[in-house]
Amino acid sequence: MNHVSQTARVGLFFLLGLALTWVTFQTLNGGKVFRDKGYRLVAGFESLRELKKGDEVRMAGVVIGSVEETRLAGRRAEAVLHIDRTIEIKRDATASIVMAGLIGTNYIGIDLGSAGAPPLPAGAEIRTQITPDLNTIMTDLAALGNKLDHALVTLTGSLAGDGKGSVGIIQKIDLLVTENRASLARTTTNLQQVTDKLNRGEGTLGKLINDPKLYDEMIGTLGEIRRGAGEAKSFIANAQAIIDQVKMGQGALGALVFDQKAGEDFKSTIANFRAVSDKISRGEGTLGKLLQDDGLLRDAQLIMKKAQRALDGLEDSGPITAVGVVARGLF
Amino acid sequence: MKPLTAFLDGFGSTWLLLVRVVSHSGSLPRQFHRFIDQCYLIGYTTMPIVAILSFFIGSVLALQAGYSMQNFGTQQFIGSLVGLSMARELGPVMVAILVAGRVGSAITAELASMKVYQEIDALETMNISPARILVMPRLAATLVMMPVLTIIGDLVGWFGGAIVADLTEIISIEPEAYFAVLRRYTHFSDVLNGLIKAELFGFAVVLVCCNIGLNTRGGPREIGAAVTRAVVVSLILILVLDYFVTQVLMLVSS
Amino acid sequence: MTCSQIAEQRNQLTPATTPKTTAVHVSVEHLSKNFGATAVLKDVTFSVAPGEIFVLMGPSGSGKSVLLKHMVGLELPTAGRVALDGHDAAAATTRERVRMALVFQSGALFNSLSVYDNLALYPREHRLFNEAGIREKVMRTLQILSLENAVDKFPSELSGGMKKRVAIARALVMEPSLMLYDEPTSELDPVMAATISEIIATLREEYHVTTVIVSHDRELALGIADRVGILMGGTLAMLGPAMALRSPQDPRVADFMNPKINLQHPRFKQLET
Ligand SMILES: Nc1ncnc2c1ncn2[C@@H]1O[C@H](COP(=O)(O)OP(=O)(O)O)[C@@H](O)[C@H]1O
Ligand SMILES: [Mg+2]
Repeated sequence: MNHVSQTARVGLFFLLGLALTWVTFQTLNGGKVFRDKGYRLVAGFESLRELKKGDEVRMAGVVIGSVEETRLAGRRAEAVLHIDRTIEIKRDATASIVMAGLIGTNYIGIDLGSAGAPPLPAGAEIRTQITPDLNTIMTDLAALGNKLDHALVTLTGSLAGDGKGSVGIIQKIDLLVTENRASLARTTTNLQQVTDKLNRGEGTLGKLINDPKLYDEMIGTLGEIRRGAGEAKSFIANAQAIIDQVKMGQGALGALVFDQKAGEDFKSTIANFRAVSDKISRGEGTLGKLLQDDGLLRDAQLIMKKAQRALDGLEDSGPITAVGVVARGLF
Repeated sequence: MKPLTAFLDGFGSTWLLLVRVVSHSGSLPRQFHRFIDQCYLIGYTTMPIVAILSFFIGSVLALQAGYSMQNFGTQQFIGSLVGLSMARELGPVMVAILVAGRVGSAITAELASMKVYQEIDALETMNISPARILVMPRLAATLVMMPVLTIIGDLVGWFGGAIVADLTEIISIEPEAYFAVLRRYTHFSDVLNGLIKAELFGFAVVLVCCNIGLNTRGGPREIGAAVTRAVVVSLILILVLDYFVTQVLMLVSS
Repeated sequence: MTCSQIAEQRNQLTPATTPKTTAVHVSVEHLSKNFGATAVLKDVTFSVAPGEIFVLMGPSGSGKSVLLKHMVGLELPTAGRVALDGHDAAAATTRERVRMALVFQSGALFNSLSVYDNLALYPREHRLFNEAGIREKVMRTLQILSLENAVDKFPSELSGGMKKRVAIARALVMEPSLMLYDEPTSELDPVMAATISEIIATLREEYHVTTVIVSHDRELALGIADRVGILMGGTLAMLGPAMALRSPQDPRVADFMNPKINLQHPRFKQLET
């Protein structure tokens, strides 16, 4: 072999080596050393945890740089981020340490920030956010589980009583209904009769037509009633659920409704209608107060909502489904 | 006592040879043809065996790692294992061992026979330094060719690992996933680390082989003995040096 | 080829403008050399004058080659020294001061180089001429030694005699001021041996080079030597002008110079008794 071709082969071989090195360099490092055209940002954290030099910086999952340096600065830890030149980071963007895997790989995640915000200049400090790391989450979750358990035990106890003399909520309601059976029945029937009368317009309708004074008075009353009824509607709607349950004949309430004698006081209710309505419009008596006093109603609604939410919440949790069934059966 | 003095003798004469080579390094441009000849022998003709061996080293690495990693279901990290092992350790060490066996032995055989047949003496009476025309071109060629061989070895090893990881049923890692993990955990600094190692190994091996060849005494029978000694000393040297160089490189890079 | 023809060619080879290298004075002073327990040279003292042709003779194994190696600094003396123009031959710097050439007994050709490159190595490495000048000089030298056809051959393709001639040619190309030959004619046919003798003699005339020849060749010794030394058992058994060889006093030397083949009483049988 002559010298020229040997030199050529050696030369080509060497160039091949250089090319392969270059390709390897480009693929593994993205040519970082020679393309150091990015800028730096400082991110301060309480703890950098597993974050180390060379870890990625990502924005919306896209790698936009790397952690160039980690250092302790006073009472906090700082990570110097090397960000690609072409990437603009908004002033209100926040950086957080994100865990990519269970084996301890982390990266810095930066959110997009708001579109209109000005970009952070080189060397600036980026806002940071503490995200719980896996260990914290695990501990918190365990603590939460314990608390929930505890809460459920208490809840069950207060609902049903602990069987040692103290009375649970359900039992209390039962007791209340039983004791006030008569008055409750009367009130309910009266209310029914009032509405019936009103619907039919019986008797009163003639008077309304012949007596303008009464008419006026009646109109006003009706207006007030209607307003009161409107306000009471949600109350009634809620009560409807109870009534449905009651119709199924369960508990003391069931017994109350199916007591035939309950209709006796229908007439006296009509007679008292005027007085009642007057009282109502004056805001006297419980119902009146209930209708007139917004605060009371709101409170009632709030209580209902709270109860509803509590129930919704309870239904979602597996272990307390039994309680949920009980509660749903009740109301 | 005799092995100790022989060791010290070899150690000292190796350093002296290095000093002589360095003192002649100015005349390297005039040794261009010898340099190219040696590049051809050390680099070009060694490349196929480096490629073959690295391919199977990478394959076996992937196979064994995959076999043990599937116990933990972590075989998706095979790329990083093969990538780092080849780049930092096996690539340079394998190339150095091949160079010791293929190039180092040939160098010792050639120089020992030159010594035994008085060619070295002839050079000395001609006032032509053997260090200059025999050792320096070989060392320079080694320095130029070791990184080339090593990067080829690294890459071929990586591909060998990728193919095995893909085709072996218990591993079954797609090449894309393999190289994604490899890229993620292997940095160019690891490759560079390996290239530096290879450079040092190659240099040490060729220097030692030259020195053993030049210090051969006696007849043709000694040529064989010198070659054996050169290869054994080279292999020990590579592994001992590997430990210390790795330590130093870790210190430097941290 | 006659002596005058060679001289003519040598004249063509070297233009008159070439500066003559100054011949070297060689002085061997109380030189002793031991290899382990065996003493090869025992307190050898003699000197070779500048431009002189000194022939060293002696039975094989008497230490002639070892003595030559001391003159070029390839062996280090156990005691005494060899001085070249006053500089110790063993010192590394001496080779830079004195251009010397040793024709090894075995030739010591560079086996990896062609005959041409073997000859061209020295002038190339020391940048004596440009490549064209080197080619001219190498080709002429090869021509003188009838080696034109071997120019592109490798040493392994040459016969023993050809190797010897290439080794001599390689030494000639160097144009040294101290020329040492270790048995230059031992493997050559009588005509080539005579040619070599003629070349050696002519060189001295041309360059005034100091020459030391180790040889068993009586023709050569008697023909071209100024002085002769005979080494026996590590010491000089005789030292004197070449003419003294014709009538040696020492019986050992006499036997060495004119061995009678005695089939009735062979020497190896005398040794047994
Ligand atoms: N390197 C060596 N080591 C040991 N002994 C040697 C060495 N070189 C020569 N000798 C011994 O020195 C003696 C002289 O050798 P040498 O000078 O080659 O003989 P000759 O006179 O035939 O050239 C021999 O007995 C040989 O065995
Ligand atoms: Mg001899």
